Amino acid sequence: MTDTSAERLGSVSSGNALELRGVTKMFGALAAISDVTLSVRPGERRAVLGSNGAGKTTLFNCVTGDFLPTSGTIRLFGEDVTSFPAHERIRRGLRRTYQISLLFGGLSVADNVYLACRGVSRNRFSFIRPRRGDVLVTRALELIEAVHLTSSRDAMVSDLSYGQQRQLEIALALAGAPRFILFDEPAAGLSPTERGELVAILTNLPSHIGFVIIEHDMDVALRVAESVTMMHNGRIFKEGTPAEIEDDAEVQELYLGGGHG
Amino acid sequence: MAIEARPTAEKSWIEQVAPGWWAVGLILLAMPAFAGDFVLFQVFGWTFVLGMIALSLMFLAGYGGMVSLIQMTVGALGGYMVAILGTSGTALSLGLPWWLYIPAAILIASLFGTLVGALAVRTEGIYTIMITLAIASAFFYFTRQNYGIFNGYSGFNLVVPPQLFGIDWRQPVPFYYLTLVCAALSYAAVVYVARTPFGLALQGVRDNPRRMAALGFSVTAHRVAAYTFASVIAAVGGILLVWQNAQVSPGTAGIPQVIDILVIAVVGGLKRPIGPFIGALIYVLLRVFSPDVLLAFGLSGERFKLLIGMGFLLIVFFSPDGVLGLWEKWRARRAHAVDPLSGAVRDTAGGGRP
Amino acid sequence: MKRFTTHHPVWSVIIAIVVAVILWLIFAPWPAGLEETFGRKRIFLNAVFGGITLGALYFLVAAGFTLIFGLMRNVNLAHGSLYLLGGYLGFEISDATGSWLLAFPVVFIVVAALGLLLQHQVFRRMDGQDLRQTLVTIGLSVVLADIMLWIWGGQSYTILAPDWLSGPVELPVVSGVGKDGQPAWLRFPAVRIAILVAAIVIGVAMWLVLNRSRLGMLIRAGVDDREMLTASGVRIQYVFLAVFAFGAGLAGVGGIVGGTFQSLSPGEDTRFLLASLVVVIVGGMGSIPGAALGALIIGLAEQLGLVYAPTYSVVFTFLIMALVLAFRPQGLLGQGR
Repeated sequence: MTDTSAERLGSVSSGNALELRGVTKMFGALAAISDVTLSVRPGERRAVLGSNGAGKTTLFNCVTGDFLPTSGTIRLFGEDVTSFPAHERIRRGLRRTYQISLLFGGLSVADNVYLACRGVSRNRFSFIRPRRGDVLVTRALELIEAVHLTSSRDAMVSDLSYGQQRQLEIALALAGAPRFILFDEPAAGLSPTERGELVAILTNLPSHIGFVIIEHDMDVALRVAESVTMMHNGRIFKEGTPAEIEDDAEVQELYLGGGHG
Repeated sequence: MAIEARPTAEKSWIEQVAPGWWAVGLILLAMPAFAGDFVLFQVFGWTFVLGMIALSLMFLAGYGGMVSLIQMTVGALGGYMVAILGTSGTALSLGLPWWLYIPAAILIASLFGTLVGALAVRTEGIYTIMITLAIASAFFYFTRQNYGIFNGYSGFNLVVPPQLFGIDWRQPVPFYYLTLVCAALSYAAVVYVARTPFGLALQGVRDNPRRMAALGFSVTAHRVAAYTFASVIAAVGGILLVWQNAQVSPGTAGIPQVIDILVIAVVGGLKRPIGPFIGALIYVLLRVFSPDVLLAFGLSGERFKLLIGMGFLLIVFFSPDGVLGLWEKWRARRAHAVDPLSGAVRDTAGGGRP
Repeated sequence: MKRFTTHHPVWSVIIAIVVAVILWLIFAPWPAGLEETFGRKRIFLNAVFGGITLGALYFLVAAGFTLIFGLMRNVNLAHGSLYLLGGYLGFEISDATGSWLLAFPVVFIVVAALGLLLQHQVFRRMDGQDLRQTLVTIGLSVVLADIMLWIWGGQSYTILAPDWLSGPVELPVVSGVGKDGQPAWLRFPAVRIAILVAAIVIGVAMWLVLNRSRLGMLIRAGVDDREMLTASGVRIQYVFLAVFAFGAGLAGVGGIVGGTFQSLSPGEDTRFLLASLVVVIVGGMGSIPGAALGALIIGLAEQLGLVYAPTYSVVFTFLIMALVLAFRPQGLLGQGR
């Protein structure tokens, strides 16, 4: 997919794509995340790992705007979005996939992706069917191609396998001109073959699109990421390259037996 | 189709329609040649009209995920407006010309439907039935008590279509064609709109409003607009119904009538636009012929309500997708039928899709 | 309530003023000017008390409806039919045995048993399919309505109140000044006061069960979060059975009440279904205090409307409902969803 405007935007903006400073989120007396400071450069591929309860999903929810952080700032491409509602962040190029796929069960794969493309474009009501060669229709087909679902293009979502649904979930996040994507456990429940496909899809994403991936499966995460942030009990515990993290003694102690959470 | 990228010869819509449909269309067009006045007016006319109103319910329920019981009321309001703004046997009518009162009636009824939608869509889906039923009931009681506008209990009589082009549109053959054309147009409109960006977005809202909102769509706006679209169809159907009966009264949109539309839509099937018309035909046949059947069994002819209720319960129990659902299941089983002679699995999928 | 007053000080003051005015109107003798503009105080009082007792009846019927919906997400559109069935059965029983009181337990048990049967044999098999359950209740209402029409015909039935309850009772409320200058007390049918008292007792009992018993705790938890309750391993189906049976029984008993101080005929099922719907929309889903508040408001609106603006009383009820839907869609006392 070649979206030159997004590429240009990505390379022009100096500084980080995503920057968190001192972000804390309390639920009552419980600190789900405390004093999280991290930065991700444009186009960087970061994995955030940690056991259940480490605060990874809360972190995501703060970044997308589903939660308001108790304290701290969040900057998206240099802009302070800490108090912005979710749809404003989407407009600035942020996308997200969900741990449990939120798909449109009564529609086909093609229709699902088409809706995603249409949504992030200007949404007028249109009571006219799109013509042949409509820009958004073509776009949707390209995205379906990018997630290896072309053969299931007209299948109903309810007829897809679980793995295919996860692929579709990713396609929805790729619609429009995403500059930064948050992948929430995309490999959950996938078979080894499907995991291989997932890794292929993620590594083949255009280089200007940065992403953060939450995963329990260390294998997948370490293969697609160029840097890793480990969280524990709501705090950042360690950062480094995949190789460094894999060999780290403390990490091994905490996560005996590797990737299963 | 919204998503079609074949660069070479693409089928025009004419070629896409399965042959069975052409046969049905021809039969419907030629019907007056072999059917009597009663069948044309009372059976088919009524079927098309009820089918239209049930179609508006099916649009909201099947494509929008909102089961609304206000459709019959919208139709009745359209009929009332035609009676009030046009001519009738009652002094209250204003006697405006037809090119004024017909569009005005449709407009007023659609506005009402939109307003009800605006009230109903801000709550969870399950409340929609309750809210729309309550408003429909309020309308019934209000029209029954109000004599200044709605002429209370008696309503308006002698409400007939205007004599356009020298034709009395309430005669069986003209009325048949009038209702056939209106029904066909509504059906085509629904089929078309279902695959426009608006229609797809509405289905998206049905399936996952949270994701639609996350994708940047206004969920409420789509739902309310769906009510507007459905209300236009219901309004036209209501006007035709009132012309057929030549009268409109609170009983036109009484609770039993409101429930009947839901029964028709569910029995026919809420998933495809042809469902409401199938349901309407079944309902009309039951209403017309069951008194004779009941009498044959020694029961009063009035017990047709019981038959309809029990039939409805059976459908909900065994085939919640209605008659269409039964048809789909039968076709699916036939498609994967095993040839009794050779034991081979015969795969004969296919067929039209409206 | 304290939370409400601290969070919404303006509304609290307004409500307090309105309540004070209403109480004054009821309990104080009216000055002459007031009587000229609003008509006689006795008419006003009759309308108010009529509204309150009608509200009591609506509460009895709506309470079951709101519980069934709140817990099982089943919009029981056959609720009105259960009401009417209970009424007809109550008529038969009190007619046959001569005892009005006996009708209550018998009807409660019979209609509750019907509810038990429905929940166990029908709705349980459709657990989770809310719309389908509602469609079944619609079908049931059609079938029941026709069967009742078949058996009892189209005429009106009234259940006779027992002798010890018939006739008026004097209430400690001044309705006017008699010719001798002495205050005249309001006289109001005893049976309606008895129903009001009974409704209050039942309402309080329900509230106690809901808030102080284990069963009530389960019901409240289920109303708040159905999935959690199912996941907690409690035999949720028994709770559903109990709630549906109780709700149905209550509706049936409501039929006896309605048959006593109004009448029973085809069409009353629709009317009480509608009343339950409106009461629950206004008061809030799954909330017993909400049902009480909604019933009171609707009952008063209906009676006062009937007396002072007969052609538009329906509009008042509808207007109240529309306002609640527009500004507080979850109902006055409903949980925000």
